[in-house]
Amino acid sequence: MHPHPAAPKTTRANMLRRAIVGSGAVAAGAVVGAGIPDESFSDPSPAQDARILNFALQLEYLQARFYAEALRSAGLTGELHEFARVAGAHERAHVAFLEKHLGRRAKTAPPLRFGEAIRDPHRFAAAAVTLEDLAVAAYNGQGTNLTRPALAAAVEILSVEARHAAWVRDLVGKLPATRAQDPLWSATKATHKLMQTGFVEA
Amino acid sequence: MNERPSILDGLDPEGRVRESLLETLGIGRTELLLAALAGAATWTAGHASHAAGAGLTENDTRILRFDLQLEYLQATMYTQALRLGHLRPAVRDAARVVGAHEWAHAHALKTILGRRAVPPGFFDYHGVTEDERAFLRTAVAFEDLTAALLKYQAIRLDSRAVLAAAISLHSVEARHAAWLRRIAGVLPTLTAFDRPASQAKMRDLILSTHFVAEDPTTGARRAPGFTG
Repeated sequence: MHPHPAAPKTTRANMLRRAIVGSGAVAAGAVVGAGIPDESFSDPSPAQDARILNFALQLEYLQARFYAEALRSAGLTGELHEFARVAGAHERAHVAFLEKHLGRRAKTAPPLRFGEAIRDPHRFAAAAVTLEDLAVAAYNGQGTNLTRPALAAAVEILSVEARHAAWVRDLVGKLPATRAQDPLWSATKATHKLMQTGFVEA
Repeated sequence: MNERPSILDGLDPEGRVRESLLETLGIGRTELLLAALAGAATWTAGHASHAAGAGLTENDTRILRFDLQLEYLQATMYTQALRLGHLRPAVRDAARVVGAHEWAHAHALKTILGRRAVPPGFFDYHGVTEDERAFLRTAVAFEDLTAALLKYQAIRLDSRAVLAAAISLHSVEARHAAWLRRIAGVLPTLTAFDRPASQAKMRDLILSTHFVAEDPTTGARRAPGFTG
């Protein structure tokens, strides 16, 4: 419930991850969230911006691929189809923006596998809720770690993720906004939650 | 902020938000929501005391006072629409939850500002809260613009503790906007990037609605948050 947990030490976080997701996944997780401070109050710098925006880029790659594949194979109809089409286009635009911004520093997409989540509309919708809420909490958690120019760009992306989250939550009958304040996840927590989806291959 | 079960007492003296939450969501979900609101307020207060300890800058004070008055304006609108608006169920549910959030935001901002908080203004919604379509249209305009305003302010805040609080409100306002847009029958999103909007733009919207009324006892305007 506490949205700003005392930052766990890296070793403790690694132990936890190893216990829950297995050491193979830890390696992949370590790549996805590499080098981002857990502390929500570490001093911003352009080098830190690049690490954080690369983390954001991994999330955007994942979402863009997820919607593209779901549109082909999940049998989406009606408003759920429209949601996937609109959100997918947004995620592609976010990928393009971050790739351009990062230039040669942009990392490539992690290996992804969506399994059952792209094979039927209900599982797709449940996974979309998880991914969009995850993106909001992950971006939110890095807000204070960014320099102002990077923050200005990140908030323009993140409120679109919040709109996606609210839209798909309402579509499946969940409250679009359950709390007065959204959580701010540390990089460790965001990476852990991301690995828990099973969409990033170890 | 330790009295978790009674968190809404301070926000909702007439008990309307609590009553409507209990009515709509059932005990289980209501308790969850109340706990979430209490947790959120406690957390903000924690960050707030950090900020207050260092002393809010004039700049941050000005921004937060503006936002506090804006939250009062919106929260009161939702409360009134629930009382007067004859809302269909989907609109009523949204107004209840979003309204409760705006009261919680107001409470959080008031806590951060401490003695520098502005009192709620006098608001006259000119029938908007009695007409579902007008209410929805107005609520969408305010939620979209509030999310945009918080983006504009985020990069202008001095305190990172205050920034952390503002960030956690910002995405909730975007969720509200998407939710209400869907209910109003328009696309929940705008484009791939949500742009910022200045305080001047928000002030223009507020002035165009004439929602900020004169003090009925003195005839003076009591909305200093919008004048700075």
